[in-house]
Amino acid sequence: MSELPIQYASSMDVSIPDTASRTWLTVDLEHRFQRQQDGFHLQLAFEAHAARTVIFGPSGSGKSFLLRAIAGLFEPNAGHIQIHGKTVWRRTLGKSSSSLIPAEKRRVGLVLQSPSVFPHLTVARNVAFAMRGMAKPLQKEKVLRLLQLVEAESLMNRWPRELSGGQLQRVAIARTLAAGPTVLLLDEPFAALDTRSRQQLSANIHDWARTHQVPILMVTHNLEEAFSAGDEIVVMHDGHITAQGKPHTVLMQERDRLLESLGLNFTPYSPET
Amino acid sequence: MDTVALLLTLRLALATTFILLLLAVPLAYWLAFTRCRWKTLVQAVFALPIVLPPTVLGFYLLVGLGPQTALGRGIAHLLGHPLAFSFAGLVVGSVIYSLPFAVQPLTSGFAATDRAMLDAAATLGSGRFDRMLRVILPLSRGSLLTAGVLSFAHTIGEFGVVLMIGGNLPGLTRTLSISLYDQVQDFQYAQANRTAIFLLAISLFALTLLYSQRHRSDPGRSSDLV
Repeated sequence: MSELPIQYASSMDVSIPDTASRTWLTVDLEHRFQRQQDGFHLQLAFEAHAARTVIFGPSGSGKSFLLRAIAGLFEPNAGHIQIHGKTVWRRTLGKSSSSLIPAEKRRVGLVLQSPSVFPHLTVARNVAFAMRGMAKPLQKEKVLRLLQLVEAESLMNRWPRELSGGQLQRVAIARTLAAGPTVLLLDEPFAALDTRSRQQLSANIHDWARTHQVPILMVTHNLEEAFSAGDEIVVMHDGHITAQGKPHTVLMQERDRLLESLGLNFTPYSPET
Repeated sequence: MDTVALLLTLRLALATTFILLLLAVPLAYWLAFTRCRWKTLVQAVFALPIVLPPTVLGFYLLVGLGPQTALGRGIAHLLGHPLAFSFAGLVVGSVIYSLPFAVQPLTSGFAATDRAMLDAAATLGSGRFDRMLRVILPLSRGSLLTAGVLSFAHTIGEFGVVLMIGGNLPGLTRTLSISLYDQVQDFQYAQANRTAIFLLAISLFALTLLYSQRHRSDPGRSSDLV
C-alpha cells in the first residue's frame, strides 16, 4: 500500500486536487437479477484512479451491489475485479463461482448505511474485533485513538443496545478502520448523522485515509455530498454507468439528467419567453 | 427412590448432553449454511429419531453394534467388552436418540443469525471458523441453552432405547425410567410415585428454564425455541 503514489486533497478543501495516480480499482461486471419482476440488469465497467471516488446515482441504481461485489459479499454472474492491480475475483458467464480472494482476505473496509455492530460485544470490543493477536495495551491504545477519531471515546464501555443510530455508525466506522483496510468503501455512511457531525466525521475519515494512503470509494445519492467529497465522480443509472470524470466535468455533462433525478426541470433563461 | 438408578441416569444425561453439543454444533452449522443438494435428506435422517419408535432404533443399534457386525466386533475389541448391555452402549444409544433435540434448535438458531453481522465480520478479516466462534455461537446462546436442556431432559426420560440396548442391569444400565417400570411391576406404587414426581419435576423445570430464556431472548435475533 505504502508504495502507491496517491495524492489526497485536504478533507475540508473543496477545490479539485490533482488526482492523477495509479489505478487502484478496476471493475467490469454483469449481473441479472432474475427474481425481480423488472429483471434489473447490472452491467458496468470503470476504473478508479482518484483518492476519493464517489459513486452517485438514485436509489435502486445498483450502487450498493457494486460495493458488496468489490468487498466480496456478492458474486455477480460474470466479470472481474482488481484491487491495487491484483485480481480478487473473476468469473466467466455461465461458469460456476471462481472467487480468487474471499471477503475476509481482501482487506476491503466496508461501512454500510445500517451499521452492523455486534450486539454481544461492548463498543471497545467491537472496535478491537479485527485486532486479534495484538498486545492488549497496544490494542487499547488503538481502540481509544480510533474512537477519538470518530468522536465516540466516551462510548467505549457501552453496549450497542444503549446507542443511537448515529453513535452505532461511528462505532462501525472505527471498527472498519481498525481492521487496516487497503481500500475503504463507504455506502451512505453519514445518513444517520446531522449536518455538523456529518461534515466533521467525513473530514476525520478523509484525514485518516490520507495519512494511511487508503483510497475511498463512496456511494451517495446526495448531490451536494457527491460533488463536494469526490475527486472523481461515477454516475450510475439503472445498473449502468452514464458518466465518469472530475466533478465539474460530470456536472456539465450530466446536468439535465441529474436535475431530472432530483425532480427538477432545467429550462435555460430566454429573454423572448 | 432408587438412588443408584438416579445417579446413573444423571451421569448418562450429562455425558449424552456433552457429547451431543460437541457433535451437534458442527452438524447444525453445516445444515444452516450449506447449499448441498442432499441437505434435505441429511436433515430427514438426523430427524428420524423423533418419529421412529424407540424400540426400533434400539433394536437396530443392538444388532448393528453387536458381535455379529464388523463395527460391533471392532468396538468390542477397543473397549474390551461389547457395547450392548454396557454404560457406553447406553451413551451411544442416547446420543443417537436425542440428536434431533440438539441439532434442530441449533440449526434454526444459526440460520437466524443476522446475515449483515456475518458480512461485517467477513470484511473485518474473520474467516469461516472464526465467524462461527466469535459471532454465530455468542449470538446463539439461547439456542445452545435450548439444545442442552432438551438433550438433558430427553435423556433423563428415555425408556425404549435404553431398555433395548442396555437391558435392566442394576447399577450398570438401569435408569430411573426403567426403575419406575420395575416398581410398578412389583406393585410398589409409593416408590413409583416418588420416582414419577421426580421425573415430572425435572421435565417441568427444563421447560420453565426454556420459556424463561425465551422472554430474555438473544440480542439482535428472534427466539428459536421449539
